[in-house]
Amino acid sequence: MSRRAFSLGAMSILAAFLSGCASNRELPMTTLAPKSDLGQWIYHLFIEVTLWDALILAIVLIAFILAVFIFSTRVGEAAPPKSAASDLKLEIAWTVGPALVILMISVPTVRTVFRSQPRVAPADSLHIRVIAHQWWWEFQYPDSKVITANELHIPVNRPIRLDLVSSDVIHSFWVPQLGGKRDVVPGQINELTFEANVPGMYPGQCAEFCGDSHANMRFRVMVETPEQFAEWTKLQQAVPVAVDQITDASVADGAKVFADSPCTSCHRIDGVSKGYIAPDLTHFGSRTTMAGGIMANTPDNVAKWITDPQALKPGALMPPLGLRGQQLNDLVAYLESLK
Amino acid sequence: MAAHPKPLHVEPANYLQGGGVIGWLTTVDHKRIAVLYGVSALLFLGLGGLEAMAIRIQLWAPGEHFISARAYNELFTMHGTSMLFLAVMPLLLGTFANFMLPLQIGARDVAFPRINALSFWVSLMGAILLHLGWFFGGLPDAGWFGYANLTERMYSPGLPLDFWTLGLIVAGASTILATLNFLVTLITMRAPGMSYMRMPMFCWAIMITSILVLLAFPPLTVGLIFLLMDRFFGTHFYIVSAGATPILWQHLFWLFGHPEVYIIALPAFGVISEVVPTFSRKPLFGYPMMAYSICLIAFLSYGVWGHHMFATGMGPVADAAFAVTSMLIAIPTGIKIFSWIATVWGGSLRMTTSFYFALGMILEFTFGGLSGIMHASAPIDLQQTDSYFVVAHFHYVLFGGAVFAILAGIFYWWPKVTGKMLSERLGKLQFWLTIIGFNGTFFPMHFLGMWGMPRRIYTYGAGLGWTHLNQLETVCAMILGLAFLVMYINMVWSIANGEKAPPDPWDGRSLEWSVASPPPVYNFARIPEVRGRDAWWIVKYGRTGSRGLAAYMSGKPPQPSAADLAPPAEPIHMPAPSIFPLILSIGVLVASLGVIIGEWRIVILGAVTLVVAAIAMGFEYPTFGQESHDPMAAPSSGGTDVRKVGIWSFIGSECLFFASLIATYIIYKGRNIGGPGAEILEIPLTSFSTFALLMSSLAMVLALAAIQRNDRTWMRVWLGTTIGLGLVFLGVEAYEFTHFYHEGLSLQTDLFGQSFFTLVGFHGAHVSIGVLWLATLWFASFGEKFDGSRSLSVELAGLYWHFVDIVWVIIFTLVYLMQQVKGA
Repeated sequence: MSRRAFSLGAMSILAAFLSGCASNRELPMTTLAPKSDLGQWIYHLFIEVTLWDALILAIVLIAFILAVFIFSTRVGEAAPPKSAASDLKLEIAWTVGPALVILMISVPTVRTVFRSQPRVAPADSLHIRVIAHQWWWEFQYPDSKVITANELHIPVNRPIRLDLVSSDVIHSFWVPQLGGKRDVVPGQINELTFEANVPGMYPGQCAEFCGDSHANMRFRVMVETPEQFAEWTKLQQAVPVAVDQITDASVADGAKVFADSPCTSCHRIDGVSKGYIAPDLTHFGSRTTMAGGIMANTPDNVAKWITDPQALKPGALMPPLGLRGQQLNDLVAYLESLK
Repeated sequence: MAAHPKPLHVEPANYLQGGGVIGWLTTVDHKRIAVLYGVSALLFLGLGGLEAMAIRIQLWAPGEHFISARAYNELFTMHGTSMLFLAVMPLLLGTFANFMLPLQIGARDVAFPRINALSFWVSLMGAILLHLGWFFGGLPDAGWFGYANLTERMYSPGLPLDFWTLGLIVAGASTILATLNFLVTLITMRAPGMSYMRMPMFCWAIMITSILVLLAFPPLTVGLIFLLMDRFFGTHFYIVSAGATPILWQHLFWLFGHPEVYIIALPAFGVISEVVPTFSRKPLFGYPMMAYSICLIAFLSYGVWGHHMFATGMGPVADAAFAVTSMLIAIPTGIKIFSWIATVWGGSLRMTTSFYFALGMILEFTFGGLSGIMHASAPIDLQQTDSYFVVAHFHYVLFGGAVFAILAGIFYWWPKVTGKMLSERLGKLQFWLTIIGFNGTFFPMHFLGMWGMPRRIYTYGAGLGWTHLNQLETVCAMILGLAFLVMYINMVWSIANGEKAPPDPWDGRSLEWSVASPPPVYNFARIPEVRGRDAWWIVKYGRTGSRGLAAYMSGKPPQPSAADLAPPAEPIHMPAPSIFPLILSIGVLVASLGVIIGEWRIVILGAVTLVVAAIAMGFEYPTFGQESHDPMAAPSSGGTDVRKVGIWSFIGSECLFFASLIATYIIYKGRNIGGPGAEILEIPLTSFSTFALLMSSLAMVLALAAIQRNDRTWMRVWLGTTIGLGLVFLGVEAYEFTHFYHEGLSLQTDLFGQSFFTLVGFHGAHVSIGVLWLATLWFASFGEKFDGSRSLSVELAGLYWHFVDIVWVIIFTLVYLMQQVKGA
């Protein structure tokens, strides 16, 4: 069996083992079942290095076991050993051996480094601006003028170019199934280029410690077919129903509650308010999660959130508004109506 | 009542006896200082462990509410900071190196006993500062590497981060002092015959570690000073809106932080290189390669800091370069692992607890090293960094490597330090609990990382598949905690009831086993003569290993003879105790507290205490400024006075301090937005003051020449000239600063202003200290005894003065003459 065939065989066995204990459904944030070109490059490199590591570990373990359990005596058992204090050939061997392994690892490493960081985005790529905030994610689509939060929709099989910027401290954008993370550093624009190749929902999370609610800075990436993506984009571009044309009484009351509340100074709803430091709510009802992706977008959760944001997300900047009873229910109904 | 009058002076039988509380507070004995370090480090080790257990309990299940988010962030910050700076480093350097270095090289103390005491007390003050948050508004909570700009007041208001910043500056300064001492001791105080290539490998490790500390801590200090200025004086070193970049902190921090990994690992390697040969009853395999590989690791460790920053977007070229240099470290590290195994190979093993931990370290550390190769590959690191995979990796390296080595060292050297044996039975129990607890806690973390769990999250969502492994880890972390509880019980039991330790319980190889356990105050009654590597082994068994075999085969290795251990006939002059190190460090604490609460009178009180104690320390010693023929010191192996080697080492460290400031200036000059820039500088005026400073170096040379030919009058003239020219330089600088201020350039104006004033200001502060130092000498020269024999004091001041002048030549060139050149 040729060396190459052997290593391919070993790689596929290891890959099968690792992905076996990492099925997509049970481990939605696994790095071992990549769904993008970037993720797959990294994964293959990882398997390759793991195999070399396993080889080195095996050699060290065997030498260790032989030294401790076979080729040594216990004190008092026999005459003390004749001491060999050095052996030039051995020492050359364990210097050159690892050096060769490093050569074998560094070549594919350098190749992948350059392949995964193209200076210019691929020609047909979709540009998206990712703005990290303490502790939520904003996604802006410059081409379609869509602005959304905590749920990134992208089409499958099309190169994606993310421009990552931060509005406050350092964060890190990480969707394990779609490839490696990239820090989001205030004052500079970092880029991430990848092409997702399997439709699905992939959870992501901030990976750089960013303060109190670092753990609560989650998000989702929806990889969609081109048709689904086009439909979603259209929905997001739609202008919401004007307040005076709302038919449902509760929703209409809720719209008034919103318009009269301090909500407007931070949140934007197209045609209603112009706030920009908090998530855009124009199509809030169309999202599956809320509050930095920490919970499902249900009327119950929205009510809980409005009542006491800090209880759910320590350090959250949104103040409790003191809304209760019918007012609260109306506001929730209004927000959920914003599909 | 007593029938027999007590004799006035009783020579204490060992270093632990006598003196009372005052004796411990004023001690300058390296062994006592080592014990002080050890007690405080074991305390913080326990505290750090409890913090880790609270962290593990919080992660038991998704949405757990054992502690709050803030408390969790405080705990992981303090766990990391305490374990590194207050537990592991103090145990390896403060305790092991402090106690064993002089004993292993056949010396009676370290080169600067009072500075040794000072470094302990200052480190204690740093530890206190770090923990004062318990009582004032919360502990630091920005992580042990405190990434800017989260650490700015804007995002971290209140006192906790102030305590963290000052605590680390103070702790860092104490580490620099401690290692400067080790380096000078190893260069100058080796016993006759103890050449570098005959030193125990532990001494090699400490020597290279000391160089690492001296060159790696200044960038951290500079980074922390910037943070301090941002938090207190309104500068913008890490504030984005002013054009600065928080990435600057990461470069400065990791320029320290990666060498820091080896500052911890190298002494651990040193301990293993002592324990393995002893219990294998074989010399260390491949000694020269072991020594060279330590040097190579240290050298490479300066070129790899970027591998902590692959995700920050440095670009593919930097990523590729840092990836390859990082991988290279595997080569010297591999040499060490294979050489330890080769040492065991064919040995006659004595399976003690210490040896168990050393063997455990070889395997666990190898494992951590192998996952390290993965992170070195930049693309893989993008998936693994800031995930639990990295947490697994560095615990395999820092716990599996350093803490296992510390535990091996504790069981190995405990009899020497305390004179009592630890229980081997409890030790073995602790070992197996540690193996189970450690691997059970940290091995599953590899999988959590691969399954996407980020580090530093106080809670996690359900349905991510992380719960079961987290619960396994929490259970195993409790087992690990139990293992340490067993160790503390073992220690207390040993001190109370332990079997008395013979001088050489392990059939040791190096000189610490040739003296009593615990050693006498003076270490060696007679300075030993070293005839080869493994100096004590050769004394016992002869060069060929044939002598004394019968004793060995009967299970009782040869011990030092009663005559060897007998006190010397003549008294040995040992350094006198001093209270000033403690007073000085209290000054440091008071000044730091004054800064934090913003009460300038308290700062001045602390600073005055500090300066007075420092000057008192300078003149306390009767041999002030004399060439050393101190009977305390072993015959100097380097042929150079300890103080001269000391000042050179200090200057080496200062080079990195100024290099960091200059690099920042160059980077920020080019990022200046708005406000005046370098065009404001006036070259003609500064050329004049530069000329004055250069002439002062000439005058300094003439002053030294004068005192060396015993001409006090001309010495005073030239010293006075030097001081005068220094004052001219400072005067021009003061004028220049005021002038710029009126032109609208202040510390807070822009990036140029803050980096210019910081760089030139710190240089000016160095000149001022130099002027003060020279003025002190000038006044002292009127004293009776100040003649040619004390020329060393002038020489030392001169070395410092020339260094400060050379730094100015570089600053003048880069800042003033090259003002038109655009920055990076």
